[in-house]
Amino acid sequence: MSSNRNRKLLAISDLSISFESRQGTVLAVQKASLEMGENQFVAVVGESGCGKSTLALAIIGLLGIPPAKIETGKIEYKSVDLLALKESDRRKYRGTEIAMIFQEPLTSLNPVYKIGDQIAEAIIVRERRNEHGEGVGETGIMQRAYSTKSVAAPSKLHLPRFASKGLEPAILDALKRVRIADPEEIIDRYPFELSGGMRQRVMIAMALSQKPALLLADEPTTALDVTTQAQVLKLMKTLMSEVNTSILLITHDLAVASQVADRIIVMYAGDLVEDCDAFELFSEPLHPYTVGLLACIPSGSKNVAKLKPIPGSVLELNKPTIGCKFASRCAHAMNVCREKKPVLAEVKQGHRVACFLYGE
Amino acid sequence: MTSESAKEEDTTRASPTHERLGTILYALRSNKGVLIGASLVTLLIVTGLAVFIAGILHGRITPYNPIQQDVGPALAAPSWAHLMGTDDLGRDVFSRVVAATPNDLAVSFVVIAFSLIVGAFVGTYAAFRGGLVDEALMRMTDIFFAIPALVLAMAIGIALGPGITNMAIALMIIWWPPYARLARGEALKIAHQNYIEAARMSGAGRLRILLEHALPNISVTLLIYASLDVGTVILIYAGLSYLGLAVRPPSPDWGQMVSAYQDYTFSAPWLPLFPGIVIALGVIGFSLLGDGLKDTLGAS
Amino acid sequence: MVSEVGDRPDDDVILETKNLSKYFPIRRGFNPFARNQPRYIQAVSDVSMRIPRGKTVAVLGESGCGKTTLARTITLLSPPTSGEVIFDGQNLTKGKVNLKDLYRRMQMVFQDPDSSLDPRFKVKDLVSEPCRRLLNNSREETQAMVMQSLKTVGLSDYAERRPGHLSGGQKQRVAIARAIAIRPEMVLLDEPTSALDASVQAQILNLLIELQKNYNLTYLIITHNISVAEYLSDMLVVMYAGNVIEYGPTGPIIAKPRHPYTVTLISSAPIPNPRKRNLLNIEIKGEVPSAVNPPSGCKFHPRCPYAEKMCKEQIPGLREIAPGHFVSCHFAEKTA
Repeated sequence: MSSNRNRKLLAISDLSISFESRQGTVLAVQKASLEMGENQFVAVVGESGCGKSTLALAIIGLLGIPPAKIETGKIEYKSVDLLALKESDRRKYRGTEIAMIFQEPLTSLNPVYKIGDQIAEAIIVRERRNEHGEGVGETGIMQRAYSTKSVAAPSKLHLPRFASKGLEPAILDALKRVRIADPEEIIDRYPFELSGGMRQRVMIAMALSQKPALLLADEPTTALDVTTQAQVLKLMKTLMSEVNTSILLITHDLAVASQVADRIIVMYAGDLVEDCDAFELFSEPLHPYTVGLLACIPSGSKNVAKLKPIPGSVLELNKPTIGCKFASRCAHAMNVCREKKPVLAEVKQGHRVACFLYGE
Repeated sequence: MTSESAKEEDTTRASPTHERLGTILYALRSNKGVLIGASLVTLLIVTGLAVFIAGILHGRITPYNPIQQDVGPALAAPSWAHLMGTDDLGRDVFSRVVAATPNDLAVSFVVIAFSLIVGAFVGTYAAFRGGLVDEALMRMTDIFFAIPALVLAMAIGIALGPGITNMAIALMIIWWPPYARLARGEALKIAHQNYIEAARMSGAGRLRILLEHALPNISVTLLIYASLDVGTVILIYAGLSYLGLAVRPPSPDWGQMVSAYQDYTFSAPWLPLFPGIVIALGVIGFSLLGDGLKDTLGAS
Repeated sequence: MVSEVGDRPDDDVILETKNLSKYFPIRRGFNPFARNQPRYIQAVSDVSMRIPRGKTVAVLGESGCGKTTLARTITLLSPPTSGEVIFDGQNLTKGKVNLKDLYRRMQMVFQDPDSSLDPRFKVKDLVSEPCRRLLNNSREETQAMVMQSLKTVGLSDYAERRPGHLSGGQKQRVAIARAIAIRPEMVLLDEPTSALDASVQAQILNLLIELQKNYNLTYLIITHNISVAEYLSDMLVVMYAGNVIEYGPTGPIIAKPRHPYTVTLISSAPIPNPRKRNLLNIEIKGEVPSAVNPPSGCKFHPRCPYAEKMCKEQIPGLREIAPGHFVSCHFAEKTA
């Protein structure tokens, strides 16, 4: 509740998500609460299994229920609780108001359709929504699109079929916006012909062609080379202001988060443990896990600064713990830490921590 | 010389053997089909073994001598004295059916075992060698694949004379190609796994890598396929036996009995019925078991 | 003219490669009308380097640069197409090589711990495999070596487990235990921490440092992670599209990279400091070139801000622009 933006774009309160697995019930996310305003870049950082991806999937409604189960909580997008909606209503937000890009674009892009056609599909969805005021599902459009128009005779330049409908300029525009060189060539290519970085840009182009107010990105650069990662991150940051979108970036890489995010939220084993401005997280980290995580990042030679790993390892999520989940690895653990669970609370202006070191 | 003390998580997980057993029992409990299949198969195997051992010891576990005629009135309907009735020569059908159990089981096990071994080796070796060797082996596999079972069986039956062993040989010759194909596919999947390379750097020779690393990792898929396949062999063998290529009368054999008794389908229906049912039960039993195996092991 | 990369000639060199190349033939099927079909994937081209004993050398590069192929070529898992590999004076590319002797002294930790451990083997059998196959020890001696190795990596209680029951970090430790159990002289590590979380990575990195100190190991580390390379290595070899384009002591290269590609690469590494937002100033165009049809001359020239006509025509050789610091660029002075 510390954002200077007056309208809350996204407000999650008390969200708890569990999974049924062979080892029992896993508490993937526990009582998560966070807020995001417009035009903000927020990064959710955590190690594998901490629940960050689950959180993102829940926001966009792509969580498989079952085996997942929303135990409690609300996800309010522009003051509408998405969890309380029927699936048919929730679908109207997906891909239109809230878009998502994933780690591996090869599985998100349809391999048998050309790039141009897939972007056209995204554009058509938006146009139909604007026309009829109703959202159309994100799947199945291709069939409808092809049946409602005649197949254009291929021109010498091999323009895609949608050229006849005048969509080509919009498609080229979308590709240019993500700084793809030679978009005219890319339109006719298939996803497997492109490099990882290009595919990710196409994904971003498709996601943003909807002009969503919120873009979720789940490890979008983890599979990319470091130079490509830099380009894509820079692109996302630039586009944020151009398209007036907020971005929620899920990543395990604190360094990446520090480069692009306005705010960083740290998750550990399903809990949100720290939430503050990016600059402050690095200058004044409060939660011992955050401190430990920062000390783990190699910078400089081994001869200069030896890394200090966090002792121990993450507890299994299918065993309910009493007290703070980090207590067994925490150098500052007190008795209360093993008895009660700390609550994420604001201890400074714009800085929330879940730790007894900073009071109740 | 210890590393930095990083306290490892204290996991009290079950040891691997317990987990395997647990998985199997869980499968048996949860899946009715598997339970039925397992019961049928166990019954058949136990019966077959009993008959076989009794035969070696010159004893007999069946109520009557299967080939002795006139142990009861001819064509008698099933009764407590003769659980499956008697046939046209007064022989006890039940005794004949039970006594015939080892035939089908033995043939199917031998054929499947042979196919598994030959197929696994041929397929895995082809996958790991690649190149011309791979092509050559696979084309050879195709050739054997193209031979029709019945035609070959009949040819062998004519050339070498009928008999269980000869039929088993005929089936073995044409049964292994699908296993080779399957093994090759699975082996290709793992051939470039890093643990194969690691084995090379551990000094393991090609044969050792094949035996210790490749085969065990593809075995699950092959075994699942095999378990589903047993029923098919039983059926084909019963068919050959029906055609008279397997046993010579008066030896009992399920397929042969169906053939011999089929004229009595309307006058004494129990005669062709019981051998037929037992064949069906054998096939169903193994199929259910194989299915269950596939669901549990395949999924994990 | 390609000059040889090296450091001071009196350094004890444990591994040397000379003009090492690995090309993979492409099977294109039979097309009699096809002309000028590309026939080879040029994975590694003309790599010459010297690795001093007891040091850590990191081979740094992005995907497709050939670093993994280089490692596989050095270990003879994938024999080189041309060039030489000389391990401790023995030329591995000439004549018959006794692989067992080689692997007794050179081991490898593979990328992706999930696939480098046979899921059907127990930890103790995985770690003992090199001991059993490469050494002639008794069973008790092997057992002792295995337990010692596991103790060193902190997994003493895990001997009877199978990989399926281990976490990523634990699996990687098993892979390391396996590699060092026989006390090799040199260990190659292919992306040893890429699949691991930050805190686990830190544990593994420190473990590697300790092992090197205690057992006097020489490391060749393949990685795309610049901060890991900087942390662990004494010397850095930067590869691009199959070639070595910069080579020398790690500190100076990271602080002041000279090859235009290295400049971009180092500046792309995200610095964990919001006050130093280097990423947003990045300008790099183009993509990694095709390994089948690479650009003529210097392979980086289509993307290089300093490229001139000469770059398209002549492949630059490695030349020494500072003591021990070599660059393959006609105009390396421009980045100074």
